[in-house]
Amino acid sequence: MAKDGGTEGAPLASLSGVKKRFGATVALDGLDLEVRAGELLSVLGPNGAGKTTAIGILLGLQAPDAGEARLFGRSPHDLAARRGVGVMMQEVALPDALRVGDLIDQVQAYYPDPLSFDEAVALAGVEKLLKRPYVKLSGGQKRQAQFALAICGRPRLLFLDEPTTGLDVTARETMWATLRKLVKGGASIVLTTHYIEEAEALADRVVVMAKGRRIAEGTVAEIRALVVRKRVDCVTTAKPSTIAAWSGVTGVIEDAGRLSITTTDAEDTVRRLLAADKALSDLEVRRAGLSEAFAELTQEPAE
Amino acid sequence: MSDVSIPPMTLGRTLRAYLSDARYESLRLLRTPAFAIPILAMPILFYSFFGVVLAGKAVSGGFANQLFVGWTVYGVMGPGLFGFGILVAVERNMGLMTFKRALPMPTGSYLASKLAMAYVFAVVVMAMLVTAGVVFGHVTLPLPTLIRMAAVMSLGVIPACAVGLFIGAYAPASSAAAFANITYLGMAFLSGLFFPLSGVMHDIRVVWPTYHLSQLARAAGGLKYEGTTPVHVAVLVATTTVLIAAAARKLSRRG
Repeated sequence: MAKDGGTEGAPLASLSGVKKRFGATVALDGLDLEVRAGELLSVLGPNGAGKTTAIGILLGLQAPDAGEARLFGRSPHDLAARRGVGVMMQEVALPDALRVGDLIDQVQAYYPDPLSFDEAVALAGVEKLLKRPYVKLSGGQKRQAQFALAICGRPRLLFLDEPTTGLDVTARETMWATLRKLVKGGASIVLTTHYIEEAEALADRVVVMAKGRRIAEGTVAEIRALVVRKRVDCVTTAKPSTIAAWSGVTGVIEDAGRLSITTTDAEDTVRRLLAADKALSDLEVRRAGLSEAFAELTQEPAE
Repeated sequence: MSDVSIPPMTLGRTLRAYLSDARYESLRLLRTPAFAIPILAMPILFYSFFGVVLAGKAVSGGFANQLFVGWTVYGVMGPGLFGFGILVAVERNMGLMTFKRALPMPTGSYLASKLAMAYVFAVVVMAMLVTAGVVFGHVTLPLPTLIRMAAVMSLGVIPACAVGLFIGAYAPASSAAAFANITYLGMAFLSGLFFPLSGVMHDIRVVWPTYHLSQLARAAGGLKYEGTTPVHVAVLVATTTVLIAAAARKLSRRG
């Protein structure tokens, strides 16, 4: 019963050299992944990158073709390992006729040391949904109910597969606040997301996946620094088609007279812009956001 | 900061998990009219119609007893057959099974909760049929005998669940209900539950679990029956084992 410092030490969950194919499709191609105690790890990647498969293997839902998955130092098939885990999956239908309160009570019974019912309800913010049958909930409310089920067992490790899809802004903020509270309380979280802001807002560490492999890993700042692209925004009479042909320019978007240029050589691009249009105004140069960084990383997977 | 050790599950909590699963499985089906109404109401409606109203006073005590056995076997098989047949197929399809496998649900609780649900429904069905049989149906057997027969017939829930599980494991969600219905009605009629069979149908009646269950019920009630108890029990056990093994093979391969 070792107390873990919460930073280094043995990982709570890991995949090493995991390969998995579904028919002709390679879902995971030698993936290594580690979840450390007390961190919020965000797994980013486009559709088909293998994020959901990676989580499925960590949970023992699928067996890897090669490589190994460990959960709390055990096989994920081990019931004792899964007692430390809470999970929110992307595609799940729960029994229509049960009420949200019933579902929470039922799932809590599976855990050795769950939160109290009221604590779980308050933490997930589902007080108003308790008496409603699951089938009567809206898409966003279903996600909130599923979130309540994920956290109600007081899991040491939480797997959230695109948890905020379909949530309105308020519900998303509530969930973010809860996630921060849980991490502060010592839980570890693995979160896959399409919302880049979500990783930027929450993650201690980011793993970028593409085509079943890990192509980058680090803090949000490190991931962003991997990418040299910058964005140059300005109002100009210069033609987008001309600018697009300049060396270093990888994209030009025009929006209401304002150009947004992505470039790998900001200085050169700005020099040419100023030369081409003396009346250029409202110039702004900034480092690409994680969103652009992410797009670049996943376009051409690094070896 | 974080204590990553996971406390063990006590026996008491494991038991509580099984009980809560059984409770919620029964509750959710009770709240699903498309399931609960046919399962609970059909046997008593059919029995009242064919065994009481239509047959009326013309039936002799012996035939009334026979109808009672037939409709009770029919009623007892329903919850298991549909509870497993349709639900397993649908839950396989909708991802509920995957979610449950990701959770630390005790091994076996998925099936145990459905079995418990089938028992609860079967007991309610039997209570209704026993009451109707004694009050209106001219059943001549004394109540203790009826209860003994009901206890024997309640064991039929297990093979019914096995048949259902087999359907649920193999049939697509969209057609599982149709397969379950055909199997249910087919088994009931082809095993001679309601009227005597002749020709080939008579010869192959022994392949249906319903036939063996009805013979066991008759034996328990001191009525005329065919075959011997050990053979009927053996056939039911063998059928159940084979169907469960085939279903388990299919279900585990998907994971």
